[in-house]
Amino acid sequence: MKPKLSCEWLHGCSGCEIALLNSGELLLSLFQQVDIVHFPLLMDHKYTDGAGDDEEVSLPEADIGLVTGGVGLESHHGVLKAMRRQCRILIALGTCAVHGGIPAMRNQWTAGCTMETVFSTATTEAAPVPDAVPALLDRVLSIDEQVRVDVSLPGCPPRPKMIVSVVEALAQQKKLRLPYKSVCETCPTVRTGKGQAVIRRGTAKPEYTPDEPLSRMRCLLEQGLLCMGPVTAGGCGGREVPLCLRSRVPCRGCYGPVHEGGNQLLDMMNALASNGIDYRTIIDRKSLLRFSGAHGRLRPEKKRRGGQQLS
Amino acid sequence: MNWDAKIIAFCCNWCSYAAADLAGISRLQYSGSIRIIRVLCSGMVHPQQVLHALEKGAAGVMIIGCHSGECHYLKGNELALARAEVIADTLEDLGYAKEQFEFTWVSSAEPERLVAAFHRMSARLADLDRDMPVTITGGAWQQNNET
Amino acid sequence: MSQVLTINPITRIEGHARISIHLDEAGRVSDARVEIATLRGFEQFVLGRPAEEIPRIVTRICGICPWMHHLAAIKAIDGCFGISPPPTGNLLRELCQVLAHIHDKILHFFFLAAPDFMLGPESDYSVRNIMGLVRSEPELAVQVVRMRQLAVAMLERFAGKAIHPVAGVVGGFARPMDAEIRRDLLVDGQVLLDFACQSLAFAKERVFSRFIEEMLSLGTVTTGFLGTVDAQGSLRLYDGLLRLMRPEGNFDEFPAGDYHRFLAEHVEPWSYAKMVYAKSWGEGFSLDPDQPRGVYRANTLARINVCDRIATPRAQEELAVFRELFGRPARGTLLYHWARLIELVYACERALELLADERIVEPLVYRAAEPGAGRGIGHVEAPRGTLIHDYTTDENGCITRANLIVGTTHNVAPMQLSVRQAADSLIRNGACDEHILNRIEMAVRAYDP
Ligand code: SF4
Ligand code: SF4
Ligand code: SF4
Ligand code: FES
Repeated sequence: MKPKLSCEWLHGCSGCEIALLNSGELLLSLFQQVDIVHFPLLMDHKYTDGAGDDEEVSLPEADIGLVTGGVGLESHHGVLKAMRRQCRILIALGTCAVHGGIPAMRNQWTAGCTMETVFSTATTEAAPVPDAVPALLDRVLSIDEQVRVDVSLPGCPPRPKMIVSVVEALAQQKKLRLPYKSVCETCPTVRTGKGQAVIRRGTAKPEYTPDEPLSRMRCLLEQGLLCMGPVTAGGCGGREVPLCLRSRVPCRGCYGPVHEGGNQLLDMMNALASNGIDYRTIIDRKSLLRFSGAHGRLRPEKKRRGGQQLS
Repeated sequence: MNWDAKIIAFCCNWCSYAAADLAGISRLQYSGSIRIIRVLCSGMVHPQQVLHALEKGAAGVMIIGCHSGECHYLKGNELALARAEVIADTLEDLGYAKEQFEFTWVSSAEPERLVAAFHRMSARLADLDRDMPVTITGGAWQQNNET
Repeated sequence: MSQVLTINPITRIEGHARISIHLDEAGRVSDARVEIATLRGFEQFVLGRPAEEIPRIVTRICGICPWMHHLAAIKAIDGCFGISPPPTGNLLRELCQVLAHIHDKILHFFFLAAPDFMLGPESDYSVRNIMGLVRSEPELAVQVVRMRQLAVAMLERFAGKAIHPVAGVVGGFARPMDAEIRRDLLVDGQVLLDFACQSLAFAKERVFSRFIEEMLSLGTVTTGFLGTVDAQGSLRLYDGLLRLMRPEGNFDEFPAGDYHRFLAEHVEPWSYAKMVYAKSWGEGFSLDPDQPRGVYRANTLARINVCDRIATPRAQEELAVFRELFGRPARGTLLYHWARLIELVYACERALELLADERIVEPLVYRAAEPGAGRGIGHVEAPRGTLIHDYTTDENGCITRANLIVGTTHNVAPMQLSVRQAADSLIRNGACDEHILNRIEMAVRAYDP
């Protein structure tokens, strides 16, 4: 019997699912190797049988479960727990599931504050914010903050080939080594060890000769552009050039920290400081955690009583 | 300050750790919240470790190294100083108060100076605790973790 | 006893939504709702960010059409910083946009919608999907997967990252296109155009003709329409004037920057998605199935309805046939699929046109931008409808205010009406089964929400 595959999405954007579909012919071969039993984007398996407002989520058993997106709404708990219960191996697919991803940027504010902002834009009618919907959790969590995860596959989105090879390897019970180095590892740019002492604004463009290959361009960080390659897990370009560098724009860290438990903000600041670059020239530091704000890394600023600073 | 609050002090083997020893012998009193971790040089402490301590619920973290020019490994304490600036500047971005961290220099012959630093930290954290309605601990959102 | 039927989740759509249908004691439909049950809050977390970073953040609103958010945001930030890209920058941006439309339309029509038609709405749920299609029509399925892959590969070849793109930059485009890549793309573009024409011919013969009754009746409602046209009234996806058509067919035309004078958003307690409506009609907003007010539709059928013509020859031919059959404006909800394939043909033709333009390989692709205070409103036609990003920046060039009107939200209100209409006509005396529920879902799928 073919191994069964079950897929669910939580607080994400469906880009991870599209990445899987972008694997092209590999996708067709995957269809041959596994039986898909649940996948809301592609097939009509429902949570309930349609009669009544049954809140219990029922999902089929599966050998491999893929979960994309973090946990951001009350309704996500039930779905995630059902996935964990029913799947032998659970894969956290994509940066949202692994580190919170972009949606966890809202962890800098309370849920109430976010609702307030969203429902008070210039063109929105004055009305109470929706309340007959699954409530926003106060924090967006990665899924390993809620359930045990067997395999973490970051990337926003993860590389299509990587998704398929991981699922195939698990289906065939083969071993597979995941990349564990930083983005810089596969970046061909020229590094001299000396660079600008400051970080320039994001509107600054790198210098290079258009006809020359990337291997003749100076490292973006050395050119004073904020490139998060050093503190970001590699793999976006396979063994080849990292994806953003192909367009000659700097890495923004979408694969999350290189090591589990790493902190992209602190690691980047530390890397800059150790190399004599004035990290105070970065204008929006919290943005360095834009992909990894779960695990309590991004939080609302603490209000002090009376507002005055202590010394 | 919370009765179970902990302050992690990374003490350099060659200076502050020796000072702590001396403080013990001289029966100098300091808060029971202090937990000393001996390191070979203050330059060994990575910002990640400071953050880890806070995430795990420490109320404060200190790094205490040799005086400028006296580092056993020549420049370890200067590296530590550069890192300390990064930590101090980044802590607020990460949702902690900057008072929760301190980097200072103490020689092996200055137990009073060390104890004074411990007192300063405890007092500051107590002030902070009064000033911030919510206690500062890591991991509160992980309560309903299944595993 | 009154009863509530739920479809949870709605499947083979992009996103999280459920349908609840309320039946009264006599088994008649008393209410039907499409509830959008997710909210991430982008308007909040762009606040304070340096504006030039926004195009690399808002892509995550949607992983199916990240290019649309990328480009609408870039145009808006261009506006905040008071800069306009050089011609080549604009050509490259538009090329990315039409290529993204191509793979999206193939995805939607063949992967998500076609199983209902090819395998039949009554077939079992376990085969009524792309996996089932691969088994029953392997040749077609392989071709579809390859063609979609080709469109994605074209994008990747000169823009690097296809999902959550980075190649558009404030002031233009990140890097020039080399001549060699352009040659390859011209060849591939032709392959895609042939496929698009074949797909439409295939769909007309094998799909639409068999379901012609449903095409005209299922979920059909009377509403206005919103789309984008150029000064000649031709269909545009990348830029142009917004044209807001009333149900009777007369329309207003305005630049995207004036959107707030024409559109407003209504909030219901049971849905996170706001419902955009035509404020300028002065009739307010109502979802009353007999007399809706302020409701208009966006997305493919709307664009095909509001434009006077299409500026590329083969798509224009198809538009003429379509108009001949269904008039203007056409109202059948399932006609969205037909219109989608006409747009697919247009997108392929437009890609070839752009590639044929000599300026596309010029080296000047961006102008230097200076961060500063301002307001910018950017718009593009996304696969799911007119997409508007509106930002205000402070003197440091950081965001202080954001308003996003996402393509799908225009269709949230009409989707309610279509689902209500479908439920009313399909559910008799409270009798309902999986097949009826799937037909109701088909009305939602047509909108490709
Ligand atoms: S990881 Fe990225 S691509 Fe995947 S769901 Fe999250 S935002 Fe979308
Ligand atoms: S910092 Fe950026 S440009 Fe430099 S080597 Fe790393 S990835 Fe490449
Ligand atoms: S270069 Fe960085 S931001 Fe770009 S895709 Fe790779 S990991 Fe993500
Ligand atoms: S040896 Fe004490 S700080 Fe380096």
